[in-house]
Amino acid sequence: MATVECSGLRKCYGSHEVIRDFNLSIADHEFVVFLGPSGCGKSTLLRMIAGLEDITGGDLLIGGTRVNDNDPGERGIAMVFQNYALYPHMSVRQNITFALERAGDSKERIAKRLAPVVESLGLDVYLDRKPTELSGGQQQRVAIARAMIKTPEVFLFDEPLSNLDAKLRGHLRVEIARLHKTLKSTSIYVTHDQLEAMTLADRIVLMYQGRIEQMGTPEEIYSRPATLFAAGFIGTPNMNFITFTVQEGRLRDGTLDLPAPEGVTGHVTLGIRPGAVEVLDAPAHDAIPAVVERDEFHGETRLVALTCGVQGLMAAIPAARKLHEGQNLFIRFPSQSLHYFNTDTGRRL
Amino acid sequence: MKPVTFVLRLVLVIAALLVVLPLVWTLLNAFKTNADLLVSTPKLIFTPVWDNMEYVLNRRSVARALVNSLVICGWAVVLGAVLGVPAAYVIARVKNRITQEAQFFALSLRFLPPVAVAIPMMVIWLGLGLYDSRVALIITYMTITVSITIWLSIPAFERVPLAIEEAARVDRLGPYATFFRIALPVAKLQVLSAIAFSFILVWNEFLLAMMLTTSRAKTLPIIASEMSQLGMSVPWGILNAAVVLLSLPPLILLALVGAGLNSAFSAKTSQE
Ligand SMILES: Nc1ncnc2c1ncn2[C@@H]1O[C@H](COP(=O)(O)OP(=O)(O)OP(=O)(O)O)[C@@H](O)[C@H]1O
Ligand SMILES: [Mg+2]
Repeated sequence: MATVECSGLRKCYGSHEVIRDFNLSIADHEFVVFLGPSGCGKSTLLRMIAGLEDITGGDLLIGGTRVNDNDPGERGIAMVFQNYALYPHMSVRQNITFALERAGDSKERIAKRLAPVVESLGLDVYLDRKPTELSGGQQQRVAIARAMIKTPEVFLFDEPLSNLDAKLRGHLRVEIARLHKTLKSTSIYVTHDQLEAMTLADRIVLMYQGRIEQMGTPEEIYSRPATLFAAGFIGTPNMNFITFTVQEGRLRDGTLDLPAPEGVTGHVTLGIRPGAVEVLDAPAHDAIPAVVERDEFHGETRLVALTCGVQGLMAAIPAARKLHEGQNLFIRFPSQSLHYFNTDTGRRL
Repeated sequence: MKPVTFVLRLVLVIAALLVVLPLVWTLLNAFKTNADLLVSTPKLIFTPVWDNMEYVLNRRSVARALVNSLVICGWAVVLGAVLGVPAAYVIARVKNRITQEAQFFALSLRFLPPVAVAIPMMVIWLGLGLYDSRVALIITYMTITVSITIWLSIPAFERVPLAIEEAARVDRLGPYATFFRIALPVAKLQVLSAIAFSFILVWNEFLLAMMLTTSRAKTLPIIASEMSQLGMSVPWGILNAAVVLLSLPPLILLALVGAGLNSAFSAKTSQE
C-alpha cells in the first residue's frame, strides 16, 4: 500500500512538451482515474509512473521514496496493458506466476498465492491453455491476475477494457471495482470512457493537452464542471452551450433575454444538461418558446432537438412523452442547473 | 469444380511438376547403372544399385569434403547466429542513426558480387598464411551468415509486441532476461528459419570456396563440380549421386524447420 506523489512532472519528446508541470498526490487505497480525450497525455503519464517512460523533469514519489530513476520492477507497481501483453509462449499459469518465479519464490508459496487469485477471477479451467486460445475478456482477466499476484503497492491500468465489446466491458468493470474493494491497493486507471471513470473512480483527474483540467469526485466534476472543456467532456448526452453577451445585466443573444448572474460582463457561455431542460406544453413564467426539430428515441429517454430563437439545443424527456416535429412548445431553465462560463477564458463563473 | 478453379489447379500442378520432376529424376538416376542410364527411353522401372553412392562415399576426397562442409558451414552458421541474432534484436528495438546504418550495412554486405569479396579475401588469407584452411572459409562465410541472420531476424523481433517486453520489465526482467526469456522464445520460429536459410546459402556456396581453397579445405560443391570433369564420358550416375548427397542436409533442415513452422500454426487447433 502506498501513496503516489507527482510534483512538477514534465515530459518532452524532443522539443515537444506533452506533459507540463503535473502536480498530483494520490492517497493510500485511493482509486484515481485519468480521464481525457485521445492524445492528452494520459498514457504517457501512467507510463512515467510505471517507469516505462523517462521523466524529463519533476519528482515522482511512490510510498514516499523518489523513484524517478528506478526500474519498473523496483517501483512496487503492477500494470495491466490495453492489449493484454501476455507472454504468448507461456501457458496461463506460467504467465501469472512468472514474476514470482523470477523473484525466487518456492513452488509451494507460489501455488498458495496462485489459488485465490485464480479463483477470484474464475480462471481455473484455463490455466493450462496458451493466451491465444482465450477470448479477449479472458486474456484481460489473466493480465489482471498476473498483476494481482504480485500484491503491488500500486496498480496501473492503461485502458484495460477498451479492446473489449460493450457487454464484457461492463462485466469486467464491475469485477475491477470488486477487486479494488477487497485488495484496497492504490490504483491509477487510464481511460477515455467517462462511464468507466464515473463508476470506478474515487477521484477523477480530467486531463486536457498535458495539463489537469479538473480534479474531483465524479459527482463534483459532473455537477460543478470547472471549465467549458470539463462541462463538454463529461456527461452523455452532451451539455448544451449557448453563448451570450452581457448587456444591462441581462444575457442576450439577439432573441433570448435571460437574467445574468451578479457582476459579470463580456461574453458568457451558459451550459445546461439536456436532462435539466424543462419542456412545457403551455406558456409559463420564465418559459421560452421553442420548436421541435428532431426527435431521437434512446430507449428510456427521448432526445429532442429544439430551436429557440437562433439557438439549437437538446432536451432529454421521458420516452413515453410523444412530440412531433414542428410542434411549438415552451422550455424553462431551472436556475440551480445552470452553469455559467466565461467564454474567453473557459473558466466557470 | 468451377472451370476457373480447375484451370488454376492445373497450373499449380504443372508448376509443381516442373519443380519436383527434375529432383525425382536425379534421385532415380543416382541409383541406376550406366547401362540403365544411357538408354534413349528413360526407364522408370529398374533394379536400383548402390554402386554410385558407394563410389561417391568411398572416395577420400568426398569424405573429406563432406567433413569440411559440415565443419565450415556449422561453425559459420553457429557464429553467425551468436553474433547476428542479438544484433538483430538490438537493431529491431533501438531505433537510431547508428542502428539504422548497421542494418543497412548488414544488407550491403550482400550487394557486392562474390568475386569482389573473393579476391581481397584471397589476398588477406594468403598474407596471413591461412589460405586453404577451414578457419579462413569459416570467417569468410560468417560475413554471409551474419548478414542474412541479421537481415531476416530483424522483422522477427519487430513483430514481438513492445508491450510484452514492457510487461517483462514490470515483472523485473533486465534487458538480457527479456531477450532470452521473452523476445527470443516468441520470435523463435522466424529466427530459426533465418538461421536455416543462412546455412543453406553457405552450404551451396561455390565461388568463394573455389577461390579460397585448393586442397585441404575443399567443400562438397567443389568436389561435386570436379566430378563432372572426370573424363570425356560423363559419369552420370556418380554425378547424380553426388548431387543427392549434396542436397540432403539442406532438405533435412528444411523438413525440420517446416515441421516446426507447421506445429506452430496448428498448435491452436490441436488442443481444442
Ligand atoms: N514516442 C513519442 N514521440 C513523440 N510524441 C509522442 C510519443 N508518444 C506519445 N507522443 C505524443 O504525446 C501525446 C500524448 O500521448 P499519449 O499516448 O499519452 O496520449 P493518450 O492520452 O494516452 O491518448 P489515447 O487515449 O489515444 O491513448 C500525444 O500528442 C502524442 O502524439
Ligand atoms: Mg493511451
